[in-house]
Amino acid sequence: MTTVGTGPRDRLRFMNITLQLNGEERTLSGDGSEPLLDVLRRHGYTGPKRGCRSGKCGFCTVSIDGSVEKACLRPLESVEGATVETIAALGTQDDLHPVQEAFIDHSALQCGFCIPGMIMRAKGLLDENPDPSRAEIRDALSDNLCRCTGYEKIVDAVEDAAGNLEPEVAADGGRSLSDLEPCGVDP
Amino acid sequence: MSKPDHGDPDEEPIEETEERRSLEEKHPLDWEEAPDNRKAVEDRWVISDSTEKDDARKIVTGEAKYTADFAGTIPDLIEGKILRSEIAHGRVTSIDASEAEAMDGVYAVLTPWSDAVPDRPYTSAGQSYPEPSPWDMRVLRERVRYVGDPVAAIAAEDERTAIEAMRRIEVEYEEREPVLDPEAATEPEAPQIHDPADIENKQPGHDYERNIESFVAGEIGDVESAVADADDREDWTVVESEWNMGYQSHAVPEPHATIARRDEDNRLHVITSTQVPYHTRRQLAHLFDIPIRDIRVTKPRIGAGFGSKQSMMVEPIAVALSEAAGRPVKVQTTRREQFFAMRFRRPMSIRMRSVVTEEGELKALEMDALSNSGAYGPHGMTVTGCAGTKPLPLYTHTPNMRFEMTAVHTNLPVAGAMRGYGAPQGHLAVEGHMDEIADAIGMDPIDLRSRNLVQEGDLDVASGIISGGEGHVRRIRSCAIDDCIAQGREAIGWDDVEQPEEEYLHRGIGVALTAQGSGVAGDELGAAHIKMNEDGSFILQTGAVDTGPGADTAMSQIAAEVLEVGPEDVLVQPSDTDISPFDYGAYASSTTYVTGHAVKKAAADAKESLVRIAARMLDAPESTVEIADHGVRNRETGESVSLEDIGYESIYGEEEREQVMGQASHSTDESPPPYGAQFADVTVDERTGEFEVNKLVFAADCGVAINPALAEGQIEGAMHMSYEYAVSGNLEFDEDGRPLTTDFRKYGMPTTADQPPLESILVETHEPTGPFGAKSVAELPTNAVPPALSNAIYRAVGARVRDLPITAEKVAAELGAD
Repeated sequence: MTTVGTGPRDRLRFMNITLQLNGEERTLSGDGSEPLLDVLRRHGYTGPKRGCRSGKCGFCTVSIDGSVEKACLRPLESVEGATVETIAALGTQDDLHPVQEAFIDHSALQCGFCIPGMIMRAKGLLDENPDPSRAEIRDALSDNLCRCTGYEKIVDAVEDAAGNLEPEVAADGGRSLSDLEPCGVDP
Repeated sequence: MSKPDHGDPDEEPIEETEERRSLEEKHPLDWEEAPDNRKAVEDRWVISDSTEKDDARKIVTGEAKYTADFAGTIPDLIEGKILRSEIAHGRVTSIDASEAEAMDGVYAVLTPWSDAVPDRPYTSAGQSYPEPSPWDMRVLRERVRYVGDPVAAIAAEDERTAIEAMRRIEVEYEEREPVLDPEAATEPEAPQIHDPADIENKQPGHDYERNIESFVAGEIGDVESAVADADDREDWTVVESEWNMGYQSHAVPEPHATIARRDEDNRLHVITSTQVPYHTRRQLAHLFDIPIRDIRVTKPRIGAGFGSKQSMMVEPIAVALSEAAGRPVKVQTTRREQFFAMRFRRPMSIRMRSVVTEEGELKALEMDALSNSGAYGPHGMTVTGCAGTKPLPLYTHTPNMRFEMTAVHTNLPVAGAMRGYGAPQGHLAVEGHMDEIADAIGMDPIDLRSRNLVQEGDLDVASGIISGGEGHVRRIRSCAIDDCIAQGREAIGWDDVEQPEEEYLHRGIGVALTAQGSGVAGDELGAAHIKMNEDGSFILQTGAVDTGPGADTAMSQIAAEVLEVGPEDVLVQPSDTDISPFDYGAYASSTTYVTGHAVKKAAADAKESLVRIAARMLDAPESTVEIADHGVRNRETGESVSLEDIGYESIYGEEEREQVMGQASHSTDESPPPYGAQFADVTVDERTGEFEVNKLVFAADCGVAINPALAEGQIEGAMHMSYEYAVSGNLEFDEDGRPLTTDFRKYGMPTTADQPPLESILVETHEPTGPFGAKSVAELPTNAVPPALSNAIYRAVGARVRDLPITAEKVAAELGAD
């Protein structure tokens, strides 16, 4: 940890944090108390969206060490050495993860702002419970808001994805992590 | 309209007046339709197909880019923040920004007196020109009128520095007494919120000394006379009721965000989360005195709008900061700001009065709406007007109808446009009242409605009630509201309600009908341009603003239907004022109906040149060739050329070269209403008033659904919003006007755990004025859960709640009162 800066920022603690991000070792820099969400987005990982920055919308849902979490509630300093996955760790447009595929098949998206977080939440549910009931799906997704769909088609999609997940895919979290790229970084 | 003679109350009150005859002639039932506009289901190519949404893949992979996602692509971008008034009413006497300005990393601090801040009035409404909203606000405000008025803005190298600088700005106020209640605001002793001398473009019926932004009234027939007649007759009943509703937030997923910068040509480039790129460009040109040609507004993906992004709130501040700092600036609002400083569905209080015969024939319907505009007036007159002009056309046969509206200012947040646009408020009053009428005369609520309902072929005069019967009268050329009732009734189980075993639980089903429009009648323009690539694909440019519902996909389907290609062969470019043809933007349920028609005509235009070039290539007369199998074929010889052949030949050919292109505008006086029937199934605990909504069903007549899955998505999402309006939502304030509801959970937006199951039903009709028979669908289902639920609870336990949100406490209070 290094402390830099002068004037009003003396109290800020700039850090370089090394972590496994979408399958690659990465170093993210920022103030230690800064929400992981803001740091990710600043480094080009714009899949997680900022809807409230207080843990109430779920648009920034990511996976941290295998558990589903809201990136806005985790300070940067807490992810040193962690394994973090954003939506970019799932499929690509040509090779979708079954949960992504199911969201498309069921037209379970409109504006899309909540969808990266919602899919991460749904995948987390299916990793833990590969065959959830509709009520369990509704309960599990309730930390993630959606304003456009009325949730009906989202619940359909997750129910369908559960049926389409191969056990090993559900267990290892999708495609090989070695060929992933961070999303949202323009050349 | 003229008043009929009421000498004999039994006489049919609508007289065949000359005026009526002239309206009948002006709006004939027959409509000359393009020959290919009406297609049997089996002849449809890609319309009525649930084509994959064109942005679906980039959305599920997280690659879709919204305004804030562009930040990393713009070098030297700095962050803007807005300092807002902490008091509800008063004047800023001084702003000491010296400490903020002295901070490292602070590039600009703006106050109402800064040179970079425009000092002219405008409206944030985002409507066509001239706007039907008063120009009553400034970009930064010395005179503050609610907790949330922007008083200063800061641009700094990063967000933390901007927030720190904002905290160091000292603002001193001269406080005035606020007025928070709309009825109290009209009293003579109430504090005056606006000085009319400072307002341009004032709206009809304004009386700023009484804080009235607008007052409008209209009448068909003579309601008072019908009420007087009812007094003399035992077989006529007068029914009165009053309905109240509070604020609703759009709760848009993506908080409003704008990036403003100068491009390499020194033109102002604004990337922004807007539903109205062209109106935004015009409004910015007006405010900053920059020629329209020097402004470019780009709309990337939008994290939904629902009307909130029709308002121009953040853009002028971002532009002013960018101009002052000489750098690109991003302003991204916080969720907290979303809950008090953006725009909202307006609170209303609506009084209903009606006269009905014992057979259930409506003789008179009267509606008096008082709406709370909050501190400023965008959409005040038009939204409040729609509280009457959207629901009353359901019962357009009623011989005597009166609608009166008053939009009043208070020192509370600013109301604006929101999905439904006054119709949700109006439908609660009208459709709740209809059940009260049914109850008063002992009639089944569906039978009462059916007896008085609009039907296909009708001349709808109610839609013109406040325009003197001229501008907005319309002919109903498609209407399947009876089928919507029948199918919804079946799906919800209206005729077979099984009561729970527990004797304290009671189940009831309620209904409410609804109508909307398809665009603003006579005040829309959509334009489209389509061009062919060498490979036989097409690029479609429209100004249609896809805010998430899938408008771009519907546009590609409409073009593909004409050109008989796949929707994936039509690439739709997002709205950008430098590139797209003009469009009024995404509001008033206009996109599919208006812009979709422009797309259809542009595609037909392109098809003409396609056929001409192909005929030349086939050495055949145009009359013998036809589009077939991704190419053009000579019907007589069977010889054909592929679209790719035509693409290359048209551009690189040896003989004539001519790119296959088409273009068209569409503008219309028509705004055909889609219709719907909302059903709510509820179980109420009579001991506590607690209730659970078991199911919501909505059956919609939206004409031909271009993309049924997307249309269903509209219905389900709208029902969610309507359910929220019925049972949660609402904003609360303390006695000084400070907001108390500032996050999602306090606000009570339904989650997967508490949103009841939804069922949507599409009932197809053919609207001859719409592209391939389409009407609108986006707003219609936002209107009717509150009345359907109020009616359902009444039918379950006899408790009538007329104030939103409907809560267990209110139900219990009504039960106790019995």
